[in-house]
Amino acid sequence: MKILRMNSVTKFYEGTRALKDLSLEVSESERIVILGPSGCGKTTILRLVAGFMAPEEGSIFISGQLVSQDGHIILTPEQRNLGMVFQDLALWPHLSVKGNIAFGLKAKGVQKQERETRIHNILQMVGMEGYSKRKPDELSGGQQQRVALARALVLRPRILLMDEPLSSLDLELNIRLREEILRLQEELGFTLLYVTHDREEAFGIANRVVILSKGRVEFDGTVDAARAHLTQ
Amino acid sequence: MQKRPFLFFVVLLFFIIGLLPVLSMLLKSIMAEGRFSLEAYEGILTSHRQWTLMGHSMALSFWVMLLTTIVGVPLGVLLGKTNLPLRRFFIFLFVIPLLIPPYITAVSWFDLLGREGLLSRLIGPSFAGMSSRFLFGLPGCVAILFTTFLPIPILLTMVFLRTVNPRLEEAGKLVSGWRGILKGITIPLILPGILLAAMLTFILSFGEFGVSNFLRYGVFPVESFTQFSAFYNFKAATAAAVPLVLVTFVVLLSEAGFLREKTFRLRPSAETEDLPLIALGTSRNGLFVLVTLFGFFLVIVPILVLIVQSANIQAYAEALSRAGDSLLRSLFYAVIGATSLTLFGFFSGYLIQTKTFRYWRAIDFTTIFLFALPGTVIGIGLISLWNTPYTNFIYGTLWIIILGYLAKYTALTSRITVNQLTQISPAMEEAAQVAGAGWFRRLIFIIIPLARRGLLAGWIVGYIFSLRDTAITMLVYPAGHDTLPVRIFTLMANGSAQLIAALCVMLILATLLPAGILWLIANPLLRKAKR
Repeated sequence: MKILRMNSVTKFYEGTRALKDLSLEVSESERIVILGPSGCGKTTILRLVAGFMAPEEGSIFISGQLVSQDGHIILTPEQRNLGMVFQDLALWPHLSVKGNIAFGLKAKGVQKQERETRIHNILQMVGMEGYSKRKPDELSGGQQQRVALARALVLRPRILLMDEPLSSLDLELNIRLREEILRLQEELGFTLLYVTHDREEAFGIANRVVILSKGRVEFDGTVDAARAHLTQ
Repeated sequence: MQKRPFLFFVVLLFFIIGLLPVLSMLLKSIMAEGRFSLEAYEGILTSHRQWTLMGHSMALSFWVMLLTTIVGVPLGVLLGKTNLPLRRFFIFLFVIPLLIPPYITAVSWFDLLGREGLLSRLIGPSFAGMSSRFLFGLPGCVAILFTTFLPIPILLTMVFLRTVNPRLEEAGKLVSGWRGILKGITIPLILPGILLAAMLTFILSFGEFGVSNFLRYGVFPVESFTQFSAFYNFKAATAAAVPLVLVTFVVLLSEAGFLREKTFRLRPSAETEDLPLIALGTSRNGLFVLVTLFGFFLVIVPILVLIVQSANIQAYAEALSRAGDSLLRSLFYAVIGATSLTLFGFFSGYLIQTKTFRYWRAIDFTTIFLFALPGTVIGIGLISLWNTPYTNFIYGTLWIIILGYLAKYTALTSRITVNQLTQISPAMEEAAQVAGAGWFRRLIFIIIPLARRGLLAGWIVGYIFSLRDTAITMLVYPAGHDTLPVRIFTLMANGSAQLIAALCVMLILATLLPAGILWLIANPLLRKAKR
């Protein structure tokens, strides 16, 4: 079964058509990167999947369940069991690292003991064990990225959505964090839907690349095929 | 708790509290003995006196608007964009008159310039005659309302200056001095803010009745108030209120049409710490002296006059014995008013900022419309709706006053919330939503903690405006529920000058002290907690 299915999705955004009759299917544990220039509709896809907006036309299924259709949100974001890392990370500045990670677990009613274990494990996984009491503004850019990742992964999401999360980092840190994302994905086996405008970043992460142009899928295939397509 | 149903309930509540009284009043004004009738309006349209009053109201509002804009905008630039010393102190100083009921300022100028005022005793009766003639009429009313509303263009100019991208001015600096930049770049960019300030000053002056009533200058809001309180002619009072509704509506509609898109979001520039300041150079000291003198005469002198006039223990003892209960009630009602306004303003601001409903603009417009509407109109509306045998549990209790506060001042706390929420990335709430948190949990654990400084500011503004309210409370207060501003207003007819001055000082202290202390204690704590 496909974990995500978008059927003939059309979305208007501030008067213009951001996505035109777009269809996309994603299998479990796939690492799919949506690549394209600014304004091509990449982030719109993530926001539709997350449930922040509904497509004007078309339908979206997650794990076979209809989540939105023809302008209606059927399952709200909090009911979809997804994780998301935002472009600006959106770490809550008034909560500590632990508070940021615990928030979703509390919302889902996870018991305290289980919560503590999961927070401990995820912090260990992202290499942030000693930082649980720090506030986000006391962390470096790379550390904030790791916390954002931990916050999303601790909920064991069906799909992890990442919206250009590494765009503000220098190249060295960017490469290091890419490797960590790959390691975590292999360990935890989640499906990754990653958005970027950076080709190297896309090729470094993906096992499947979708190139988007003016709201339409221009290419959909393997990394090697994508490279070949872009050099044509 | 579901977001949309709850917010819809808030909208419904606001409709009942704010708009329904005005609609009820309008409906009753066109009905006579169960039939449609314009009888109440015939008197207004055909009466020469009514047209004269309308002319007075227009003239008063126009002059106040013109003078506050001419003085307030340069002062706003001086305090918001230059290296003038003690700028924060001056901002606080110039805002004080807006925080106290305008008629208190009128009382202090009367104590200074009136026939038996301090200057008359110092200089002689011939001067007193001249100054008294100035005070009792259009010039006196303009001067006092100028003092009251001057902070509006000052503050809006400063707020809008912070929205200007510093790079635009730096680009201008490569080819021009500050004078040219202000004229060619900065002022044109903040023009919508200046026009908004002018419009606000116009409608607030238009609806003010305490000063004109005290200085015996006939204007429309006084007519409406007098018809109700002196003659108990509810129909005439309602009919006299309708032109006020119309003028407010037309002015606000033009604001919505021409300025709203430019003024709705007062988002500070991303690099606010980097705002380039104008170095005043050699004129710095001269301007400092000028602003100090201006502030001294405009703000300090009226307060000093009241302190000097009331400098007598007996005056304060009498004030406490005659109005101590009103003072306590004022504080209590202001706390309830501020808390209700903060809650109500937060939710209406939230639904406006997040555009939860398609008609969010209408809600925003309604809050502003009710704020701009004269207090007398809202008061008459409340009476029209709630004065029935079935609703006496509201009409006969303090809740009628609180409803008045909510109707009139929600715009303030709502706008503060909108501006606060604008500065919080929408991703903050979205991240919580993806994490599985329902709306109420997101509100309690994410949005409210992030907006807490705005909530504190909203509470303080709500407290001040509830405490200073005179027009609505004067019309609707049930027996035994009068507040201090109302008690002062009623005692002015037969109380001694010393007693009135003592009461005014008490009111000023009750307004400024708690609000100031709360801000000084809580704001640094919240700022620290955020870090």
